[in-house]
Amino acid sequence: MASTVATPMSLPSSSAPLSPSPPGLSPSTPGLSPSTPGQLSPDELELLAKLEEQNRLLETDSKSLRSMNGSRRNSGSSLVSSSSASSNLSHLEEDIWIMWGRIVNEWEEVRKKKDKLVKDLVRKGIPHHFRAIVWQLLCNAQNMPIKDQYSELLKMTSPCEKLIRRDIARTYPEHDFFKEDSLGQEVLFNVMKAYSLVDREVGYCQGSAFIVGLLLMQMPEEEAFCVFVKLMQEYRLRELFKPSMAELGLCMYQFESMIQEHLPELHMHFQAQSFHTSMYASSWFLTIFLTSFPLPVATRIFDIFMSEGLEIVFRVGLAILQMNQAELIQLDMEGMLQHFQRVVPHQFDSGPDKVIQSAYQVKYNAKKMKKLEKEYTTIKTKEMEEQVEIKRLRTENRLLKQRIDTLEKESASLADRLIQGQVTRAQEAEENYLVKRELATVKQQSEEATVQLEQALKTISKLQDQPHAKGVPRYSEEAMLQLERELVQARLKEAESQCALKEMQDKILDIEKRNTSLPDDTNVVRLQEELIGVKIREAEALTGLKELRHQVHDLEDHWQRHLARTSGRWKDTPKKSAVAELQDELMTVRLREAEAQAELRETRQRMLELETQNQIHSNQLRRAEQESRCLTERVQTLTTQNKDLHSQLQEIKRRQAEIECKSKEEVMAVRLREADNIAAMAELQQHISELEIQKEEGKVQGQLNHTDSSQYIRELQEQIVELRQEICCLKGQRGMSNQSTFDGINLVNHFGNLESYHSSDEDRSRDPSLQEVPSPDQRGGPGRIRLRPNLPDTDSDEDEGEEELRLTVPPTANHMSTTV
Amino acid sequence: MEAIWLYQFRLIVIGDSTVGKSCLIRRFTEGRFAQVSDPTVGVDFFSRLVEIEPGKRIKLQIWDTAGQERFRSITRAYYRNSVGGLLLFDITNRRSFQNVHDWLEEARSHVQPHSIVFLLVGHKCDLEAQRQVSRQEAEKLAGAYGMRYVETSARDAINVEHAFTELTREIFALVRSGDITIQEGWEGVKSGLVPNVVHSSEEVTKSDRRCLC
Repeated sequence: MASTVATPMSLPSSSAPLSPSPPGLSPSTPGLSPSTPGQLSPDELELLAKLEEQNRLLETDSKSLRSMNGSRRNSGSSLVSSSSASSNLSHLEEDIWIMWGRIVNEWEEVRKKKDKLVKDLVRKGIPHHFRAIVWQLLCNAQNMPIKDQYSELLKMTSPCEKLIRRDIARTYPEHDFFKEDSLGQEVLFNVMKAYSLVDREVGYCQGSAFIVGLLLMQMPEEEAFCVFVKLMQEYRLRELFKPSMAELGLCMYQFESMIQEHLPELHMHFQAQSFHTSMYASSWFLTIFLTSFPLPVATRIFDIFMSEGLEIVFRVGLAILQMNQAELIQLDMEGMLQHFQRVVPHQFDSGPDKVIQSAYQVKYNAKKMKKLEKEYTTIKTKEMEEQVEIKRLRTENRLLKQRIDTLEKESASLADRLIQGQVTRAQEAEENYLVKRELATVKQQSEEATVQLEQALKTISKLQDQPHAKGVPRYSEEAMLQLERELVQARLKEAESQCALKEMQDKILDIEKRNTSLPDDTNVVRLQEELIGVKIREAEALTGLKELRHQVHDLEDHWQRHLARTSGRWKDTPKKSAVAELQDELMTVRLREAEAQAELRETRQRMLELETQNQIHSNQLRRAEQESRCLTERVQTLTTQNKDLHSQLQEIKRRQAEIECKSKEEVMAVRLREADNIAAMAELQQHISELEIQKEEGKVQGQLNHTDSSQYIRELQEQIVELRQEICCLKGQRGMSNQSTFDGINLVNHFGNLESYHSSDEDRSRDPSLQEVPSPDQRGGPGRIRLRPNLPDTDSDEDEGEEELRLTVPPTANHMSTTV
Repeated sequence: MEAIWLYQFRLIVIGDSTVGKSCLIRRFTEGRFAQVSDPTVGVDFFSRLVEIEPGKRIKLQIWDTAGQERFRSITRAYYRNSVGGLLLFDITNRRSFQNVHDWLEEARSHVQPHSIVFLLVGHKCDLEAQRQVSRQEAEKLAGAYGMRYVETSARDAINVEHAFTELTREIFALVRSGDITIQEGWEGVKSGLVPNVVHSSEEVTKSDRRCLC
């Protein structure tokens, strides 16, 4: 079927007059070529003009284009050679095809020499059949090594698979090629997956499937994959689709700056409406208008994108704004958004030439873009820093708020306390006032009291003065009468006391009687105590009596003196005075009598006292005698005991003497026996030495006479053995006898050094008493050890020690120690 | 004719990719359901009037956002000027439910100093057979975050109106109580073009006249 997608349009400067062509013309009809003005300008120019005309016609009918797109894929990579299929096309188209064919065939050369021409041609649209190859050539995606990995990549699984799968059905859902469960969906999935495996950082980004989908409409999946990889790597797409999408922000910033520069009024309006660039332009950049315009228009723009890069998006974007400026400036934010949603996408349904043309009139300053990029990065880094700072400040703020809260609480509690304190202070102040008032009244009272006191003191002193004044003249008859009365009373008291005395004496007598009747020794102490108590009372009574007597004396003195003084007054009545004098004398006599009687009583009492004392003493004497008797008895028994003990002692002493005698005798006997033994030993030793001499002689003889000598030696040896046995026997006897023999040594030893047994050797050498004991001094002799073959050949000292140890437990040692 | 409304609320719809944000909004604003729709690249915009009480209409401006995580660099700029939000998850996709918390965090960290009234929406409730998130646990989660919970289906048009009007009423109540106020330089809530319209019908006609002039 027909297959030219629109291509070039007007030339930069001298575009041919474009008369609107009649609608409804099918793209396949070649009837346009004759109608085009056949101006014979340079070949290419003419060709381009013609193309433009036809192109417009073609693009007015998007449906036909869609169908073309659908079938396009079948032609595949054999685009170049497919010119045969278009035999019915106009020769103008043929010319263009031939030219593109030439360009494709001599790509390297053309690209080097005629780059500008190629660019211009691309701007006018790449013929559909050439798109696949031209796109690959434009992005240099041929012979990429990654192509070989593709089939391998498909076998792998990607972490983004699920997400890709979900978006596949949503990519060009109305396009035939990507219908549900079609081959298109499968290859789209493959390419997306393969890319997500190649570039793990980007993985899969929504939006990129539209670009891949467009590629897949033109070429097989491997090629599409390679072109996509190239686009991502070299057309800034990778940066756009990165997870951070930082590049998109930069594009927005750059684009906004462009608006500000080229369309300042619109920019102002946008700002006023807070209409942000990202609200309408982000999809322009992310999908290169593929989701913003119908495919034919978007494909044309994509052609230019392939040859010139992302710059075209800026240009077209600004052109769109320029074309819509008048409308936009009338609208509010919502209206503008709706305008972008509804009006703009279909603005160029008649053909993208107009917008492309105006896009190329936009001044695009690459240097300025670079500058903006730098600006943006600095802004972004600043923003980042600010965000960090903001976060920090927020946390700080939070902490401070918390602190404020706590401080507020604290201050509230403090305020409460303050109020409480004030209340208590008020209360205290009131109390204080009351106390002060009380104090004042008390002071007043005390002052009054002192005044009263002074007055009282004055009255007291006055009153004291009064009796002094009165006392002296009154001393007369009144006082005398009082004294007389007192005297009578005193006498009565005396009589009473005498009666009491008598009673007491009676009581004493009673007690004495009782005392004598109760001579029991045990009661004596108690009775004595009672007696002492009674005596004390009696003494008190006596002293009381004495005092009374004294008083009576005093009174008598008084009386005498009074009589002397008053005698003068009664001179005029001598008779009366004589009677009085006699009366007085009687009184004095009586008094004396009473005194005498009291003295008598006293002496009697003393006598009684003495008698009782005497009795007590006699009692004591009696008891002492009894005690002495007891003691004498005890002394007698003790003396008898003593006598018995003495007799026992003497007997014991006697026995001791006897035992000592016996032991001495025994010691003597043992010494004698030992001396015999030693003598025998000496004899035997002599015998041995003789035998040895004989043996020596025998040896000498044996040397002379071989046969006899050995026998003789054996005989001698046997003899020696016998002798040795004998010695052993003797030794054994000696050992037995030593037990008693060494008792003495042992005892001496004990006497010299009671503690140690082991130092006996030294002790023996020091102690002269030991020398007397015939100990085996010969043990040091050379022959002695040899004479004891049965015993192990050990150190002699040790032997002695052993013997000593054995001998330290003598059976009779206990009573021997006293005698030595 | 100029639409008359009391307030204009700006809402944002967020949630994982393919939970059905665009479909839900389309159902609400356009009254139709598209079996397939383009993935949202960046943000999309919709608007509609709702009548919360007779004579009281609110205009809703709704931002549709791209669900893929990397688009958050674009979408996060839209939280600040939103007063309300629908947080969508797909009841047949447990993962999208688990990400609800992340979305809330994302929103909360970028909305300051303002705040957003959120409604938790369990979407695609027509696919009961494939349900992976029970109503109870979703309600529990919503309760934990102080949100209401609604289950919707754009395909069968279940609860779609209800979800939006419910959220609108909640915001309206907060605006009335003064918890949310209209602020200069904040697009979340705006006073209606004809604020007096509610009080008397005369004023409505007056304002209409004025507009016509």
